[in-house]
Amino acid sequence: MACLSSSRLCARVQDKLMCQFGHKVRRQTVFVKLKPPGPSPLRLFGKTCQRVTTCGPACGTGVHANTGSARRLASSLQSTSTGSLPDYGTQIVDPYRLLEDDLNGIYEDIRTELQKNTNQAELNTIATYYFDGQGKALRPMVAILMARAVNYHVYGENSALLPSQRQVAMISEMIHSASLIHDDVIDQSDFRRGKPSVNVLWNHKKVAMAGDFILAVASMMIARLRSDDVTLVLSQVVTDLVQGEFMQLGSKETENERFAHYLTKTYRKTASLIANSVKAVALLSGADAGACEVAFQYGRNLGLAFQLVDDLLDFVSSAQAMGKPTAADLKLGLATAPVLFACEKYPELNPMIMRRFQESGDVEKAFELVHKSRGLEQTRFLARKHGAEAARLAAEFADSPYQKGLAVTADLVLNRIK
Amino acid sequence: MSLSRLRSVVRCDVVKAFASSSAVTKLFRPCGEVTSACSTQRRNVTQHNTKPDWNRAVSEAEKIVGYPTSFLSLRWVLSDEIANVALHLRKLVGSNHPLLKTAKNLIYNGKNNMQAWGLIVLLVSKAAGHSPEIPDMEQDKAAGVLHSQRALAEVTEMIRTSHLVHKGLVNMNSRQLTAGEPDDMMFGNKIALLSGDYLLANSCSELANLRNQELVELMSSAVRDLAEAEFLGERDEQNNPLPSRPVPEASWEPASDWDCILDPLPMGGVQGCLRREWVARHVLAAGALLGKSCSAALKLAGHNSELQTQGYLFGCHLALAWQAFLDLEAFTGPEPASFSLVGAPMAFTLQAKPELYKYIEAGRRSVQDIDYHALYRAVVEGTGIAHTQQLQRQHVDAARHVLHRFPVGDARAALANIIGAMRHDL
Repeated sequence: MACLSSSRLCARVQDKLMCQFGHKVRRQTVFVKLKPPGPSPLRLFGKTCQRVTTCGPACGTGVHANTGSARRLASSLQSTSTGSLPDYGTQIVDPYRLLEDDLNGIYEDIRTELQKNTNQAELNTIATYYFDGQGKALRPMVAILMARAVNYHVYGENSALLPSQRQVAMISEMIHSASLIHDDVIDQSDFRRGKPSVNVLWNHKKVAMAGDFILAVASMMIARLRSDDVTLVLSQVVTDLVQGEFMQLGSKETENERFAHYLTKTYRKTASLIANSVKAVALLSGADAGACEVAFQYGRNLGLAFQLVDDLLDFVSSAQAMGKPTAADLKLGLATAPVLFACEKYPELNPMIMRRFQESGDVEKAFELVHKSRGLEQTRFLARKHGAEAARLAAEFADSPYQKGLAVTADLVLNRIK
Repeated sequence: MSLSRLRSVVRCDVVKAFASSSAVTKLFRPCGEVTSACSTQRRNVTQHNTKPDWNRAVSEAEKIVGYPTSFLSLRWVLSDEIANVALHLRKLVGSNHPLLKTAKNLIYNGKNNMQAWGLIVLLVSKAAGHSPEIPDMEQDKAAGVLHSQRALAEVTEMIRTSHLVHKGLVNMNSRQLTAGEPDDMMFGNKIALLSGDYLLANSCSELANLRNQELVELMSSAVRDLAEAEFLGERDEQNNPLPSRPVPEASWEPASDWDCILDPLPMGGVQGCLRREWVARHVLAAGALLGKSCSAALKLAGHNSELQTQGYLFGCHLALAWQAFLDLEAFTGPEPASFSLVGAPMAFTLQAKPELYKYIEAGRRSVQDIDYHALYRAVVEGTGIAHTQQLQRQHVDAARHVLHRFPVGDARAALANIIGAMRHDL
């Protein structure tokens, strides 16, 4: 069974508790629903994304294992069984509103930083093009939220956001944009965030150079934090992004290998950036190794959930007339989770995956088979499991509005509609 | 070592210094002195041949610092991603994507081989020596350099190669595509972009492993400079550089100061002054990386910030001397089909005869539309070549001047040899 084998792959380390409420999750069907109150939905990373099978050490065991596990269990169950914003005790936390002051002006600050680093007007124009404030700033938001949650966890109520942590939030968005810019050239996309993408407007060589430029400026900012560990953690992100991109060029013959390949690629292309930037802010706050690892695992699970939802929306958002191109991943020759799951029931998808849906009619046929199979449902299940795990990990930090915000963010990621 | 110390010392307004050539010649001693100081080593290398030979100078130098620095080492051949790229490159054979040419140049390197960049970083490392406080574990005793310096030399090469590969992208927007071609070109672009990114990502992690944040900042700023270089001045549709329209000397704006090499190169007074434009262009495209790498190598060895600055100047002058040497190459043999329009001989010629700019304007869409023959005649008949030789000598002298700061030794002699080999007999 696809569902079983895949969950084994990615949830190897998850404990029995997870499996138990996994079943509850499966039963409930409402997933893509109207957007929750507060921040508008997110769609950031196009179709693409990264290493999952190696889940690392069992998430969260050992750190504060004896505090409030019963409460955590209760709230986790609640959040997954209702499928909507759960009631986190007394208040509903909107992370974007919570962090309004911290996030305010973050795009301006990035633009200023880029502008300071060049005397070439056109380079400045291209490099700042995607920092127009239209993005949802998911990565900076998660980084700051984690920073505040960890600071609260370590220093208590009177802790503040460190300037260096805000820098990491900016850097995460810059690395993300640099990769978007290079993706645009590679995929020849026409539109992004509601406007023509960079490769349509400018010379491709210049666009590639602008991507390098953003990366260079980001890495100067990293260096100025003067922390060897943070530099190492964030340089891992860049390596992962490129390796993920290389993985996307190839595919594997056998089904099991293929799913592992997909999950690893999803980790490298999407989750690594989130996981490592939240780890970096935790390191900067001076938290112990255990807390940094919890932060990392939170980011990893959140990132995986985010990308799985993204891959799912690539199939369903067209059905709901979302006004975006249908099955963009298939057209790029990419077999994402829904297709890989559908393969179990319809083995005729295998040759199509191998030829990257290049023959005429392949994309339409695959699209149809995915909808006929349980692929979408299974992808949803997997995403939910990672979301629930992220929420469970968030509960390991000391109780604070920010800590609650982390759990809410996991829910936002699962419930976004575009 | 604090960042402020680095910031405070550097006041190397290269643009300004070379705007007035007399200042440079006054400042720096004639080259003869340096050559004599290391003449013994040099005679060994060059005695069979009256003129210094480039390849011999380089291969002799490689022996001094151990194995050659080429990143095409076994480690790379065994890496998954590189194997992947090699596989994909084969698909491109038969198409005319420029990536193939870049790849070929990486393997069969001639005079302008990029391995020489890492080599120079290693030679500078060895020539300058290192602080006695550095533990034995971190030294490569046989070669006389630090392991960290070797890693740095590799990073220098990776950054340079990555830049060349990204420069080799085809602009798909403007290209009139013939049937069957777009797929190849698109695929080539994809591979080129990814390979360049791969090298850049590797440089990031190698640098991070050195655990020296000032160094990371310095080298990242070199990557930034390379990116900036691709935006300087006029361009045709494939982003090939064109010189800007020359303006008479009276209307040049004053060249701006440049206080800190971590800041981007100021462009004040560059427009219309083609000699300054040449300097600015090649400082960004080459000098910054080599200079910052040499400076970083000295930083790793524990030298003071004053010597680090000298290291920067050495690399920068060497790169400019090298560039002038390459620019002259087109005018040494039979007339070539095309040559660099932003080379120094062309810059001097255009400044002297601004009416020639009409030929440049013909190349706005593509440099292929340019009447190279007419421009070639103009360069050969004018004083551009003589001026370029003079310019090259200035940079050679400046580089030798720094070299003189290092103790006498085989690495210093090898650097002098390499500098000496950059000479055309015209």
